[in-house]
Amino acid sequence: MQLNIAAIILGAINVALALVLAPLFEGILRKITARIQSRQGPPLLQPYFDLLKLLGKEDIESGHSPRMQRFAALLSLATVLTVAVQVPMGGHAPLGGQSDVILLIYLLTLSGISTLLAALAAGSTYSLVGMSREMMAMMTLEPLLAVAIVIGAVHTSTLRLDQVLNGSVYASGLFPVAGLIMLGIILFALQAFIGRMPFDTAEAETEIMEGPVMEYSGPKLALFKYARMVKLFVFSALFIALFIPWGHTGFYPLDVIIFLAKVTVLVLLVTLIAATHARYRIDQAIRYYASLFGLAFVALVFAVSGF
Amino acid sequence: MSLLSKIKEVIICLNAGRVTLPYPFAAKPVPERFRGRPIFNPQKCIGCAGCANNCPAREILVFDPCQEVRIIKYIGRRCTYCGRCADVCPEGAITMSGEFENATGDIHDIQQNLEIFMGTCQRCGRCYTGQGPLEALMMKGYRSDNLDKDAWVYSSQAYLDKEPVVEDIDLELD
Amino acid sequence: MAARDVLNSIKKRFDTIIQRADVPADNRLYLYVQLEMIKEVCRYVFRDLDARYVISIGMDDRQNSNRFLVAHDFSFDRENVLASIMVQLPATQPRVDCISDVVPAANWAEREMRDLLGIESVGCPNPKRLILPDGWPDGVHPLRKDVPWNYVPPDFDENKEYRFDEAPEGCTVVPFGPFHPTLDEPAHFRLYVEGEIVRGCEYRGFMVHRGIEKLADSVLTYNEIPMLAERICGICGCVHSVAYIQAVEQAATIKPTPRAEFIRTIMLELERLHSHLLWVGLASHILGFDTLFMQSWRIREPIMWIAEKLTGNRKTYSLCVVGGVRWDITTEMKKELQGVLDTLETEWIKVANAVKGDRNIKARTKGVGIADQDLVKEAGLIGPLARASGVPIDCRRDLPYAAYDRVDFNVIVEDGCDVWSRVLVRVREVFESIRIIHQCLEKMPEGPIQLKINDELPPGRIGLSSVEAPRGESHHFVVTGENNRPDRWRVRAPTYQNLQGIPAMIKDQQLADMTISLGSIDPCFSCTDRMEMVDIRSGKIQVYSQEELLQLVRQGNDTGTKKKCS
Repeated sequence: MQLNIAAIILGAINVALALVLAPLFEGILRKITARIQSRQGPPLLQPYFDLLKLLGKEDIESGHSPRMQRFAALLSLATVLTVAVQVPMGGHAPLGGQSDVILLIYLLTLSGISTLLAALAAGSTYSLVGMSREMMAMMTLEPLLAVAIVIGAVHTSTLRLDQVLNGSVYASGLFPVAGLIMLGIILFALQAFIGRMPFDTAEAETEIMEGPVMEYSGPKLALFKYARMVKLFVFSALFIALFIPWGHTGFYPLDVIIFLAKVTVLVLLVTLIAATHARYRIDQAIRYYASLFGLAFVALVFAVSGF
Repeated sequence: MSLLSKIKEVIICLNAGRVTLPYPFAAKPVPERFRGRPIFNPQKCIGCAGCANNCPAREILVFDPCQEVRIIKYIGRRCTYCGRCADVCPEGAITMSGEFENATGDIHDIQQNLEIFMGTCQRCGRCYTGQGPLEALMMKGYRSDNLDKDAWVYSSQAYLDKEPVVEDIDLELD
Repeated sequence: MAARDVLNSIKKRFDTIIQRADVPADNRLYLYVQLEMIKEVCRYVFRDLDARYVISIGMDDRQNSNRFLVAHDFSFDRENVLASIMVQLPATQPRVDCISDVVPAANWAEREMRDLLGIESVGCPNPKRLILPDGWPDGVHPLRKDVPWNYVPPDFDENKEYRFDEAPEGCTVVPFGPFHPTLDEPAHFRLYVEGEIVRGCEYRGFMVHRGIEKLADSVLTYNEIPMLAERICGICGCVHSVAYIQAVEQAATIKPTPRAEFIRTIMLELERLHSHLLWVGLASHILGFDTLFMQSWRIREPIMWIAEKLTGNRKTYSLCVVGGVRWDITTEMKKELQGVLDTLETEWIKVANAVKGDRNIKARTKGVGIADQDLVKEAGLIGPLARASGVPIDCRRDLPYAAYDRVDFNVIVEDGCDVWSRVLVRVREVFESIRIIHQCLEKMPEGPIQLKINDELPPGRIGLSSVEAPRGESHHFVVTGENNRPDRWRVRAPTYQNLQGIPAMIKDQQLADMTISLGSIDPCFSCTDRMEMVDIRSGKIQVYSQEELLQLVRQGNDTGTKKKCS
């Protein structure tokens, strides 16, 4: 257990980056969406104001078990922040050898489970419908992410997180077939991981009245919204760490800036896709994920056989 | 192919640019025929009460406190800005202005009170005809020998009690 | 004469029971038949003569003829005739045979007659309350002439609940509405859901009643009613005001000036344009595709501006008076209108091409909300809903009114029977509307826009009028009366019929498709619920008290059993 000061500081910076910058990226997303829709759009800092406003609102506790609701709200933000601590943002992974791939996969699944808990704790019909959709989506999506990370593990022959991330899917300079296939697959599934159009079935506003988060108001809703924004940031960071690792200068602040630039480009891509698509129905979405998983399996076979 | 359609859609959007106006900081001027708040001109009004007769929302009330005076009151609360009052006025005393920002906390900002001095024919009272049978004025003429019966010539039951008060014409709305 | 031909074909079978037949014009037929035979006549007309059911109307005629009147309106589309088959009922205990088992589309109309007039339908399969709130006391029938228009019943029971049917086995109850982001107006659909599949549905609506028909009977005059009629709906207001005026004009045999007819046509088509563009936006929003929503509304906006220039208001045109219209189209306005239409057409072609190839939208709308031709016939569905199922009915061509007999246009028909076909029908109808307006602007004759009316309108005459609203046929029935106001005015908006087809359309479909299926009929609940008495002061018209509504949403059903299959 060697937690040196550098690791703690790096970890704290990661969390700070996630907390401070996630709403800004959400703001960029909303502004670009508005411009595509020929509108003016909200100011870039609007998500900060939204969160502040929600924190100040009355917390009405309605639902089957308020204690579980509180726990679910806190869990949702806590899991994504814990993932943020582990993912390298411009440098080495803060926890170094202390964390491994299994932990990362577990935490990402846990963040999905927090949504399920949220819906169950609320207990209203629409929450339960949203929960069943989220569950079906999770069952077919999490394996995709797991396969991506496992391919990295296979190529570096280790489960240590700092070595698996940092572009090891390309295994230091080579371009394996498996890695490229996975790049394509995760790119196609990125919208689904962060829950934006066309794959936001679980939180379909016009169909099931926001689904799992329907019964939440005030500070708890702020936590869920914050968790969603941080998810966008963290998944982008994960994607960059796995597939676009180049551009390291060794000088930490410059690395962070390069990293943030990459995240911005990814957010722009996500926005473009989200603004130009209609929402898919849950069965259509599941079929899509399942076909992607088939391809991912092929990639895994390649990786294991050494390509 | 679906991707091509999406690209076409994005091009349509970006070509359009931004189309929203930062109202209320930038106003959009109203066209000529715009039907905003009606403005009553007491100089031209002859007190025929055709406007009151033809207002679908019954927002124009008429009261004769005495032989010489007729009060025409536009309440404006449920006014739908249809412009029928302006249509049927024989003297053109009502204009539909371009004012549409009529929200206010005090109803008296919108209400218009006209006090018209009237002449009376002792044989037929005050008789007016509407423009046609469909705009017939369904009011009794006023004659000084039945002051009590004809005190209210037109009233809307939404606002007023059965027994009208002669002295106090300051209407209290619910 | 087409109406005489229809009369003769009915006479061939039912000669002795016809009490009286009026043929006031080539396209109208009013038949009075014997009370006992009404069901047989309706069955013959609906099945054998293949007429389209329009609406059933009840009327309290006790002060004139000491009877109640029940009229069943049918439309003979191929013969271009609107017919009304009427029976007279005794003043005490009015009872008439229910025709819902031969004409399923008559279900709501008969329940409405029962609620509002106390006319008992003998043998009605579903005698539940339709219009009046549950707390309304029995025996008080608002549309009867002895009930004043601003009557608030003292024994209104605020906490009485509506008795829903039992949920089928194994299904959860998902309450849809009255508050839901997709619905513009409140309505309640009680969905019985198994997993994600909808197995059945029950509708409780009429929550926004406003007492429009009663006001027309008792308070307003002929030229004031169009202002009320255009507020029946916020999207198709002009349709209702034109339909009412046409019915009055027909009853009083007044012909409006030719220029006025063309202006009415132009405004009606402008309204169709704005409504279809609005609908495309709404449907995309329901599907989650907000970008198309914003773009189609951006393209729609110039129509609202030109309407404001022409009539003074973006939407409530306040257009009609008896015998004409109130606003003229000057030469500058004509040029401007033509410019707006040209820009609209260019932009809309681009959007239509982009949408036609979009597999994302197609995936959500193909095969969804199926309404086959049998359902269209049984439930009396109309408008783009029917035309998307291959049934070519369009009032502009079948029952021509205003200036439609003088312009050229196509009736757009698709045969996919699903939401995607309805999208295509509406997108293509935009181009037809633009064509019609261009033709009207060219062919419009000079002349006065209002007729000088010198006599009072004769009382006791009946007028029928059907206008093609963007959603379907809007049908008005007027009986002229004394005191410069009608004796009875019945409005049948298109959504009234189309909503009755919803339970069959969403059965065995996914829950996620419910909203788009409902959206594809372009529901206008304000058009549907236009009758009841609302006293503004008490505001007591609501179906559920707040605690019950919250409870219903949270617990999922109110019988305590919840079997979830997923």
